[in-house]
Amino acid sequence: MKAVSEQPLGESRRGARVAGYAGRTLLPILAVAAILVVLPPLWFGDSTYTTSLAVRALVFASYGVAFNLIFGCTNQLFLCMGALAGIGGYGTAISMDRTSLPIWAGIAVGTASAALVGGVLSWIAVRRSLGVIFTGIVTLVFSLAFANLLLGQRDLTGSETGLVLTDGAVRLADDRVGGYYLFVCLLVVCLLVFRVLQLSHVGWAFRALRDDETAAELAGVDVARYRIYAATVGSAMFGLTGALYAYSSGFISPATYAFDQVDVRVLVLVAFGGLGSLLGPVIGAGVFAILDERLTTSLELREILYGVFVIAIFLGFRKGVVHACVALYKRLFRSGGGEPALETSRE
Amino acid sequence: MTSVVLDGIVLGLAFGLLGVGMTLVYGLGGVINLAYGQIVVFGAIVTSLVMEEGTSTLLAAAVGVLAAAGVCVLLDLTLMRPVYRQHGEERILLGLLLTLGVAFVILGLLTWRYPAGALYINISGEPVSILGVPMAVGSIWASVIAIAVGAALLLFFGLTTFGRGVRSVVQDEVGARLVGINPSFVRTVVFALSGALAGIVAITYSMSGPLTVNAGFELTTFALIVAVVGGLGSVAGAFMGGVLLGIVNSMSAHYIGQYYTSIILLGAAALTILIRPRGLLGR
Repeated sequence: MKAVSEQPLGESRRGARVAGYAGRTLLPILAVAAILVVLPPLWFGDSTYTTSLAVRALVFASYGVAFNLIFGCTNQLFLCMGALAGIGGYGTAISMDRTSLPIWAGIAVGTASAALVGGVLSWIAVRRSLGVIFTGIVTLVFSLAFANLLLGQRDLTGSETGLVLTDGAVRLADDRVGGYYLFVCLLVVCLLVFRVLQLSHVGWAFRALRDDETAAELAGVDVARYRIYAATVGSAMFGLTGALYAYSSGFISPATYAFDQVDVRVLVLVAFGGLGSLLGPVIGAGVFAILDERLTTSLELREILYGVFVIAIFLGFRKGVVHACVALYKRLFRSGGGEPALETSRE
Repeated sequence: MTSVVLDGIVLGLAFGLLGVGMTLVYGLGGVINLAYGQIVVFGAIVTSLVMEEGTSTLLAAAVGVLAAAGVCVLLDLTLMRPVYRQHGEERILLGLLLTLGVAFVILGLLTWRYPAGALYINISGEPVSILGVPMAVGSIWASVIAIAVGAALLLFFGLTTFGRGVRSVVQDEVGARLVGINPSFVRTVVFALSGALAGIVAITYSMSGPLTVNAGFELTTFALIVAVVGGLGSVAGAFMGGVLLGIVNSMSAHYIGQYYTSIILLGAAALTILIRPRGLLGR
């Protein structure tokens, strides 16, 4: 690559190179999409139980991509993922309950409110220059307050009993496999957005500000703007996923979006897959879905295993399992090529 | 009015004691110990198990406090070592995530072995009248213990040589090393101290109501919020923040309504962090 790029290229070769580049960068997403599309006919058919597990895994993979965009790319520790998804879910449900909006408009309202809240939180964090830890604490406080709000606004949210979503839920809940494909589409869209952002000038800004904020600022990167940008897009992903999940399950309660149900799991699975990597969340969500399924018998044992997993990951594989595998692959086959610019690292 | 404020102070002192253990470890090691609430619960469960054997409450409480301190020392000597090798935000983040893992392990183990475990220390006696307000004996004892522990800590850090050594490590690790203080030893001692505080919190909490096995997460968040509001690393700040939040809590519970209380409490905490990120008495 270095040797070739120094000599002038013919138009056709340049075109082929661009096409090849685009192909290579989109290849992982296409591969994931292909695997996910053939999974139902090959493996679990239309079993309701397995499909709902798979939908859950897809939802968490989408959450993971969104978290990766906010934390992995721009270093903002958002510990209000469940709350953002909940704003999407409850926003959609309540706006459809109170008005006669069509389902897509309701989902748009939910997604937009989540994006707005995420953007405002990020704006506050940036304006007060809170740093990683304080951003984490403020967003944690926000998500606790949101959980209390859900419990308290009984006539709007139904409190612990939750809300049953009738409109549209029938279609999605009855057609489980259709619902599954909807979430495959959602995940692919999230991955595409993430990848496109990574490849565009935004991605360069993200890498610069994550590696060294001051240096990025000095080099002319508007750190504040890109942070808010990432938080808004990521929060929109959270909101959209939360809204669609609400409609596919046909029922939401505060537990659906609780801190320990969403935030902790997403943190663990993204860390497992590798912070900032494209496919990390997908792999993490897959592994943890299988783990969950195997350990359904003992909730406490699962808790312990989760803890051991987290400790082991952060002691052993600081950059995530995906990164460790890629490193191993490179050491074994010494291909030399690859795409180092896209392999992100934490240090 | 007086009774509301007094209630708030009682609650606030408990909050403060909870925040101190969190704030000490952060100030010294740069570790936000997310397993803190679980260690409190661990101390409570150990105490209740010893009490079931028929020993005196005082002995059981001592065993519980020692057990909690022991867990903290173990944590410091094993898992926290790689954390201390990191610097700046990397250190905070790694410490945060590792202690989160530890919290899961402790919670899982405790709920697995003792799903119905709880500690309740019932102190019987006539309510004592303070400023014309009758107060339960349990909460008076809890407050007295909290004040005594707080005063002892302040004296320890202000007057003793070792306490000054701890403060020197907080201010400048390299400088402390140059004048012959071993930061690693100081950290272990302070970690043990925070564990002992967790044990004491378990005892005082259970004097006004049962402390159940799954209260850990809530305790951790309260400790974190109190520590942040008071200023991470400041003992007096943690007590001040605790009392302030306690009064806010009981005032809003009394005048605005139980439901909005937690939201107002969290709002007050968020506001303090945003207006003064260093906390009330932070450096």
